[in-house]
Parts: sequence; structure tokens; C-alpha cells
Amino acid sequence: MNCEVCQLKELEVGHLEFEIREVLRCILHTILFHRALGLVRPKDVDLELFEITYVQCGDLEIEKKIDEKIEQFISWVEKHPNKKSQICLSFYEVKNKQAFLFTHKIERLYWEQWYINLNVSQLPRTHSGKSHRSKVVVDPGAMIIESSMEESSARRAALEASLRDVLFQIIKFVNEKKDHVPPIPNREGVVSYPYEITIPSSSDSAFGMDVFKRMLQTGHPTMLS
Amino acid sequence: MEQIITEFFAKSLQIILESRSPYMSSRNYSGEQAVSSPSSSSSSSSSVRPRDKWFNLALRECPAALDNIDLWRQSNLDPMVVDVILVQRPVDFDPVSFSPKRNSVRNLSLKERYPMFVNSDQEEFGCEEKSEKIIERWIVQYESRMSRDTCHGSSRRMSNSTLYKKTILLLRSLYVTVRLFPAYKLYHDLNSSSQIRPFTLTHRVSSFVEPFTRQEEREMQKFVFTPVDTSCGRLCLSVLYHSSVSDISSEPSTPLSPQVITDYVGSPLADPLKRFPSVPVPGSASHGSPSFSPFVRRHSWSFDLNRASQPFTSFSPSPTHSEPHATNSNPSSRRFPPSSLPPHPPETSSMHKKDPNFDEYFPSPFSASPSPSASPSPPIRIPGSHLSNALLRSESAPVGIPTAKLANSPAFKQNLPPSPPLKSSKSSTSRSDKSTGVTHSGTPNEKLRQCSGLKLSSNNSPRVSFSRSSSRSFPDDFDESDFACAFDVEVEDITDPGSRPESFEQNVPLCDPLEPGGGSYATRKSADAAVGALVLMLRKAPPLRQDFSKSVANSSGVPRVETWGDSNTVLDSNQISEGLVPVQHVASSSVMASGLVTSKTTADALEELQGYRDLKNFLLSQGSKSHI
Repeated sequence: MNCEVCQLKELEVGHLEFEIREVLRCILHTILFHRALGLVRPKDVDLELFEITYVQCGDLEIEKKIDEKIEQFISWVEKHPNKKSQICLSFYEVKNKQAFLFTHKIERLYWEQWYINLNVSQLPRTHSGKSHRSKVVVDPGAMIIESSMEESSARRAALEASLRDVLFQIIKFVNEKKDHVPPIPNREGVVSYPYEITIPSSSDSAFGMDVFKRMLQTGHPTMLS
Repeated sequence: MEQIITEFFAKSLQIILESRSPYMSSRNYSGEQAVSSPSSSSSSSSSVRPRDKWFNLALRECPAALDNIDLWRQSNLDPMVVDVILVQRPVDFDPVSFSPKRNSVRNLSLKERYPMFVNSDQEEFGCEEKSEKIIERWIVQYESRMSRDTCHGSSRRMSNSTLYKKTILLLRSLYVTVRLFPAYKLYHDLNSSSQIRPFTLTHRVSSFVEPFTRQEEREMQKFVFTPVDTSCGRLCLSVLYHSSVSDISSEPSTPLSPQVITDYVGSPLADPLKRFPSVPVPGSASHGSPSFSPFVRRHSWSFDLNRASQPFTSFSPSPTHSEPHATNSNPSSRRFPPSSLPPHPPETSSMHKKDPNFDEYFPSPFSASPSPSASPSPPIRIPGSHLSNALLRSESAPVGIPTAKLANSPAFKQNLPPSPPLKSSKSSTSRSDKSTGVTHSGTPNEKLRQCSGLKLSSNNSPRVSFSRSSSRSFPDDFDESDFACAFDVEVEDITDPGSRPESFEQNVPLCDPLEPGGGSYATRKSADAAVGALVLMLRKAPPLRQDFSKSVANSSGVPRVETWGDSNTVLDSNQISEGLVPVQHVASSSVMASGLVTSKTTADALEELQGYRDLKNFLLSQGSKSHI
């Protein structure tokens, strides 16, 4: 099977914990809802930031895992501000590899990868308390404050539109590419396919290593059954 | 496979209607038999409640979907068209709801503001004017291939599990997509908001519909889900939707709570005895009821009503004031009908009707300018009754009292001259008190304003503020207040809307003899009472002072002070309260007054003021010792 990769549109997110969390939750849950093909009781969640309602599987395990990863990501962003980052949600199949490069290793066959591209930027003027504003010149004056508020709302509006685009992007991808999805395993639970969420690691180079490792783990097409 | 397709129709209908039909739907779950899913993908481990677990999407029962699906259970070859319709009228609304029917016309904002009046009209109007608009059209269709051979041939290739998996995926994306279209927002608002909305959503499920016109199609956008190929055909799902329904839902609906009227003083109709001083209050004119300063709203006047009988003697000063004033002021004369005039209806206390109000309450001396004493001059005793009448008529004592005072004034005037010295001292005191309050004059329509200014000015100095604040103290010392009223009457008489400063000036001398009290005997008595009232007012000076000081500061002040001085001997608290309101007007009018004053120089006025102040102090000391 090929590994289908979907690069989602880049989102300009402000350096606001709440904003990052909301956006990531929305995207991750939406993707997982399309991929957790076990019996689900869908749960509608209204975003607080925007007028967007997304759907969760209603599974606590998934929710917990997603929140954990988001918190890790936020800590990473704190250490690496003003950077473009990627979160990868991968679905794989577990194959017991008997012989190959990594013998006696449980091989993961990734059949789908979603890349969530975020550009976490420092907000202009005085906004979040977390941002490092050493370079921001706080100009006293109502006009400046007003313009910053306008900028903020414009930025939010742009983010909402982008988020909608991303959600539709997910929907289209799910619709167009169905053949690569493995058969639904006959197992209990909501989660049909194992998945993992990868956040950027401490060093940039390591990220590349992760990708390389994944490529190796994917295995040779001939090895696939 | 057939079953999968049939259930696909049912499920897609349920998903769509569940998120488009408010008030009905999955909220009202009533247990449904569990439908066993195909074995390949069934995982009915959940044993909580029987739900439709088809496609691994456990949704609650949707009666709307159940009602409509029968046709497609029989034959899944017909397309299923689900129209989501926006109906812009309160279909399910309460007849007594205040929400106006919001038509496509959308010119009901006015009616929204006055729901009480238009509710009944609106209802009928709305029923006729409902507008329906299809905002979404979902089309679920199974396109079967014509060739049966192909069908049989390919059926092997596509296993049911694969088909099921794909339909599951399709329905999952449908579930998510349905919540991203604009119509969902309307549904969400309808379901979640407690406000009554002027629109609702309905649906229509059919297998054949009229296609949209070209223009309609142009307005709509299309979203097509990737068809799921089956062995014999393909399942297609698409939607035409309006991307701009937000303008409908964003219109604010009528709030359930009525609007709060700020500065509500009370309808004049509610309390006929209540009189709202027709003082022009900048900015407050917009309110339906005359809104005045809190001073006005205090019910000191109601207390005055109770004491209507007493103030007889206190009105004596007024005649003295009124007479010269009346002679001098022509415009004012028109405004003051005879004291025996019936009470002006409270409704007329609007600002623009100040003149008539004034006329009512400031009779005769002004109206009969040539002979102020004559016209308003019933005997002193009568003025008392007039006073009570005036008091009864008006909530604001200052307004009512002047009537009686005016009535008294003629008689009083006669009495006044005999005791100029004493009176002058007292009156000068009060005059000075009032003089400070007399900041405005000259404008015909601003008798009340003048009084207000009077009050304000009185607040400027301790003695003045005393008179103004006496409204609060009114209930405590009615005796004094009587006289204060008398003084007020004089003041008002003098501060005739049309009166010019000259008239005030002339009133000044009147102030001297204008001791509280009517006749000679009354004069003495009223003098004491007036002093007491004056003292009281001064003691209880409210922060009007500050207001007044502003207004006084604005105005040139001195001449006006002087002109008002005599009339300001004892300021009625109500007058003060009235005066509190139009501070700005006072300031402006005082400026005008000052402009009009030409006869006296500033220096003269200052000297006079000083004299009055001394007199006031003297009176105060006397008052504190004497019985009040």
C-alpha cells in the first residue's frame, strides 16, 4: 500500500496557548473521526474561538492522547518561538517483520500521514502574556491600541477562514482517497487503526531523522502482504 | 449490498435532518431497535442504548428521518432530495411574543422597538408575509449502471466490506461537513438560543423537485462528495448551498426583556398631581418623560402638598417681588395667568411647554404686568388656598407655591414697604442667596430655568445652596419651607421667562420688603419663618453648589446675582431641585442674563452682593437663635 500523505494548508497561529490548543484539537479530532471507524457516538464540539463546530469520536482515550500531545507541542513552541512547525498524525499497520533491516522488530507500515503545518508567530503589540516582546515597541496611544485590536481581529478572521479551509481539505482528502485505507479490523473499540502523533522534537535536525526513520520503517513494497 | 444502499439513504437523511431540524430530532431520543450491522464491520459492543449503529455511527433516533425514509426503503433508485428551508416568520412563536415578523423586507426595526403597539399587527402581517427560501439542497442518489452484466461482473470485486467501509467513510465526512455549512449555524442558533428568532428551519424530503432557476443556482455553491462505486452503480451525495445565510441569523432578534428607559421619572399620567418641572435638560429631552435631576424627583413637593395650608404667610414676600417684576417684564407677564388658574395638567410639563406651565404656576403678577398686584391679587388668605391648590397641582413645590405666592404678593407688597429695613436685611440675605441662583434670565421660555438657575446660583453660596437643598429638608421644616416657598414664588415671579435682568433688578428692592409673610402681621411671622427656612436651606446645602458654581462661573454672574437676589430670599427646595437639572441651561441663560444686564455695573453688583451676604450672615445668626 502506498502511504498517502496529506499536507494541510499552513495556519498562521498566534502565540497563544488557547488558540493553538483549539486549532490543533479541531484538526486532530476531525482527522481521527474519519479514521476511527469503530462504533462511535459522535460528539459535537463548538469551538470557543470561532464559529466552527467539529466532531469528536467521543472516545476518552483519543481525547486524552490528543491533549497530551498538544501540551507537549505547546511546550516545544515555548522553547522555539516564532517558528514554523509541523505535527504529524500517522496511521500505520503493525506488521511483524521477521526479516529485514530491523529484525524481530515490530514494523509499522504507515499508510497515511497528515501533516499539520503551523506557523506560530509572536503577536504584535501587547497581546498574550507569554510572548517575548522585547522587540515590540509599545507605542502609547489609542490609535495604536485600536490598530492592534483591528489587527488581532483580522488575524483571527484569517485564522478562522484558514481553519475552515483545512477542514474542507481533510474532508476532500478523505473522500478522494479511500482505497488505501486498510480494511476495518474486527476489533473492539473506536479506534480501528493504530496511530501516532508526532510533534517536532527539540532539535530541528531530529525532525528530519524522524522522517528518515519512518521511511525505513515503512518497508519495502515487496514486503507488504 | 442493497441493504447497505438502503441504509445509506436512511443514515444520510438522518445525519442531514439531525443537524437541520430544530426542535425535533435526536434530542428527543426514544429508544429504537438496534439494527444489526453487517458482520464485517459491526462492533456492537456498546450495550448502552439501542441506537442505529449502521455504519458505526450511533445516532439517536430522528423522527423526521424515519417519517421520510419509507419511499427509499422500497426502492433506492429514486434520488432523495432534502431541501432545507429557511422560513422567515415566527412559525412557532408565541402570539404574545414581541418579536416582530422579520420579513425579507427587514424594515421592522421600528416596530421592534415598540412591540407593544405593533404586536398584533405584526402577527397578522407576519402570517401573510412568510418567506421561504431553500438554503440547502441535498441530493442522495444511487446511480445504477444500466448494464446488468457489468453489475454482476463487478460485484465480486467490490466486497461488501469494502463498500461498507467506504460508505462509512462517506457518511463520516458527511457528518462533519454538515456542521460546516452556514445553515448549521442557523440550526445551532435556533436550538441553543433562548431568544425568539424570527426565522425557523424546515425541511422537505422528496424524490422529485423543481430544479433551481439559473439565477438561484448561481447564488448557490455546490459541494460534491466523492461517489462510492458499487458493483452496480455508485452512490452519489452532493449539496447545493447558499454560502451567505449569515445575514439572516445575524440580525438581532427582539430581546425578550423590554428596553429599559433610563431616567425614567414616571408618566405624568400616572400621577396627576405630579408636576415635572419643564426645565430644559440638555440631553434628557429625549426621554419620554421629563427627566430631571434627582432633586426634582424627590418628593419634597408631596410634602409641600401636605402643608399647603400653612404657607400662607410665607407668600408675602412674593408680591413684593412680583410687582416690580411684573411691571418690568413684559414677556413674563404673558406667562403668568391669574393665580386662580386651574392647575396646568402635568402632561404639559414637557420642556417645550414650559411657558404654559409657568403660566399656570406663576400667575397674575406676571401676566398682569401693569398691575401685578391687581391681577393675581386675591386677598392674602386666598393666596393661601391658591398656594395649596398650587401645591396640590404641582409636585414641585417651587412651581406650585409661586402661584400662591403670587397671589399673596399683591397683598404682601402692601405690607412689605412698611418694613423695608428688616425685610431688606432678610430679603437681602435671601436675595443674595437667590441672586447667586439667578444666573439665567431673559429667555421667555425659561422661567423654570431661571428658577433652576436661581436654585443653582443659590447653591453657589452657602445661603443659596441652603435654599436649593431645602427641598430635601422640606419635610422637616415646613414652616421654613413655607416661607422658602414664598421666597421662591417671588423668585419665580421675578424670574419670569421673559423677564429681563432689569426686572430682576427691580425686584431687588422688592426683596427687601419681601419678607416671608403676607400682611404686616404675617410679615413678621413669615419673616421668622423665612429666616428659619433660609437657615435650614443654607445648612443643608446640597452639592448643587458645585453645579451652580460651574454655571455661575460660566456666567458673568454679578448682575444676575443682583437681579436674582431679592427673589432669592428663600428658595424653595423644589425650585432648587428644578434648578438643579438645567445646570447647563442655567449657565447659558445666566450668560444671557448677564448680557442683558446693562443698567448696573459689575462693581455695583458686587457691592450689593456683599451687602446681601452680610445680611444673610446676620439672619443666620438670628435664625439660629430664634425659634424656627
